[in-house]
Amino acid sequence: MVKRLTPWILVVPASLLVLLLLILPVGATLLATFADAKGWAAPYLAFFNSGFRRTVLWRTVEVSLITTVISVVLGFIAAYVVAQMPGRLKSIMIIAAVFPLLTGVVVRSFAWLILLGKNGIINSALLALGVIAEPISMLYTEGAVIAAMVYLFVPLMILTLSGVLEGIPKDVLEAASSLGAAPFAVFRQVILPLAMPGLIVGAVLVFTGSFTSYATPQLLGGERQMMMGTLLYQRAMVTFDWTGASTVAAIMVVVTIAIVLVMTRLARRLNPLAA
Amino acid sequence: MTVSLTLDSVTAHYGSTQVLKDLSLAVAAGELVSLLGSSGCGKTTTLRLVAGFLEPTSGSIRLGERDLTRLPAHQRNIGLVFQNYALFPHLSVRDNVAFGLKQRGLGAAERLKKADAMLERVGLASFAERMPAALSGGQKQRVALARALVIEPPLLMFDEPLSNLDAKLRVDMRVEIRRLQRANGTTSLYVTHDQEEAFSISDRVAIMNAGRIMQLDRPEVLYQRPANSFVARFVGFENLIPMRVSARDGGAVTAQTDAGATLTLSQDAFGAIPDRFVLAARPDGLAVTRAGEGRPAGIPVTLGIRTYLGRAYQYQCSTPGGDYLGNGPLTEPLEPGSSAILSPVPEQCCILPPED
Repeated sequence: MVKRLTPWILVVPASLLVLLLLILPVGATLLATFADAKGWAAPYLAFFNSGFRRTVLWRTVEVSLITTVISVVLGFIAAYVVAQMPGRLKSIMIIAAVFPLLTGVVVRSFAWLILLGKNGIINSALLALGVIAEPISMLYTEGAVIAAMVYLFVPLMILTLSGVLEGIPKDVLEAASSLGAAPFAVFRQVILPLAMPGLIVGAVLVFTGSFTSYATPQLLGGERQMMMGTLLYQRAMVTFDWTGASTVAAIMVVVTIAIVLVMTRLARRLNPLAA
Repeated sequence: MTVSLTLDSVTAHYGSTQVLKDLSLAVAAGELVSLLGSSGCGKTTTLRLVAGFLEPTSGSIRLGERDLTRLPAHQRNIGLVFQNYALFPHLSVRDNVAFGLKQRGLGAAERLKKADAMLERVGLASFAERMPAALSGGQKQRVALARALVIEPPLLMFDEPLSNLDAKLRVDMRVEIRRLQRANGTTSLYVTHDQEEAFSISDRVAIMNAGRIMQLDRPEVLYQRPANSFVARFVGFENLIPMRVSARDGGAVTAQTDAGATLTLSQDAFGAIPDRFVLAARPDGLAVTRAGEGRPAGIPVTLGIRTYLGRAYQYQCSTPGGDYLGNGPLTEPLEPGSSAILSPVPEQCCILPPED
């Protein structure tokens, strides 16, 4: 009896933690949005009736998608190169890729302020070289946010993909070329399909990460490039509009879940091994 | 279309380590040649050079009239069967077989037809829709074989194709590989560390050691007439006795072991005997008889453990110059610890050049 219960007893602490710290607060937040005096849909109607907030939502989706696509491409290339390296060099490169993760998000976003600012390193360099006459304003643009987020998430992508790419047996690739597949055909017909599961997992991580990011858009996008995370903060902590904040949170949860579902569906479709 | 494969003084390095030393090898059109040796002898390196996964430092590789030496792997048109099958895990059995045809630009309908016909030939027609993960080891290797054969390559290469299969299946697959290779008359290079496998499947076998071919010949010749001590040891000549000729009297040669034991050997029976040589014999080739009057001259030994073999007794024989294994008749069992005489049986012995 005790033996059969042991596994259940062991999952109790973790389950309580998830229940108390995740499900209850998220549930309470969602419930709060339906408690409006003007009807349960009122906060949502208010959200979608506001052009500004629709823009914020759309911008968040757009920035996250662009970040994801760029991170996937850059991460794939880097992981592919790393996977080809001999053992020792490979470990060094992986450590180098992961190194930025050891500092906080704020610190890493701040680094971009120093790079992109009016008197930042890039502007100073370009001015000194005479390429430009006036400093370009790069901060508080969508580009700045995307650049910083790609920088944040590429290590994650490299980590996910290098494992997957390393798991592709070398002789499978050799078999492909012995059968007449040119390097690009090997990539497209063997490496890419076999890396697809890792690619999708990485993409989900990057998308949810950028979609819910706060510090980076706050620091590098400012008011002008407001994203859902910053909007949420503003609603809750500046205007004390708790229902509005909860609505933003609810929409973020729904969009994230929807995107993750679509991606896992896609993963199942594209993952040949599951067939 | 059958062509020959020629390797001409090929040298190869991994980093700064030389792994192939001036290796030359000619596989005749339609012939199956095995490269046999323990790990690290260079057999797999040779195969990888021919496949194009490795570039030789010097020398040339030709397939018929075509120079392969600097050709990229995907342009060589060689069918390869790997030890770990190396099937594409994301493709069905049929698509695995059709992969090479697809690279050759064949239309979908034709690919299907050819792949299915080839699967039929290897007895896997009903498995075409399966994924590789749902196959047994033997089935996987048959798919790999079909995949290599379907592109109708002028050269087939096998890299230890049976070492992941169990014993019974190994023999079946061996026969199957040989049957398909014969039927197509495809020139083949077969890498293995298993002597029985190499000898049973090959027209000729190259025994390799330390990046060199020690002897390349028909299995019968290798087994009965090894050319040097390495090959002799490899094919089971357990007794290698270095000897020096001390006197010649017409056809009769008197020679001594390092420990001073004297043998008189007839050149009529043993063939030409150089001044220094190694007498190589399996236990069968050294007859153990009781020491005493009227017995043939031989190496005096003290007998150790006696083993019953069914057809003979085998004895461990110790001498001051080293230990040997010899066989004695069932009619005359000898006791451990007693003295005996070892005499070489001419037709079971080989005279080899001395080891350096």
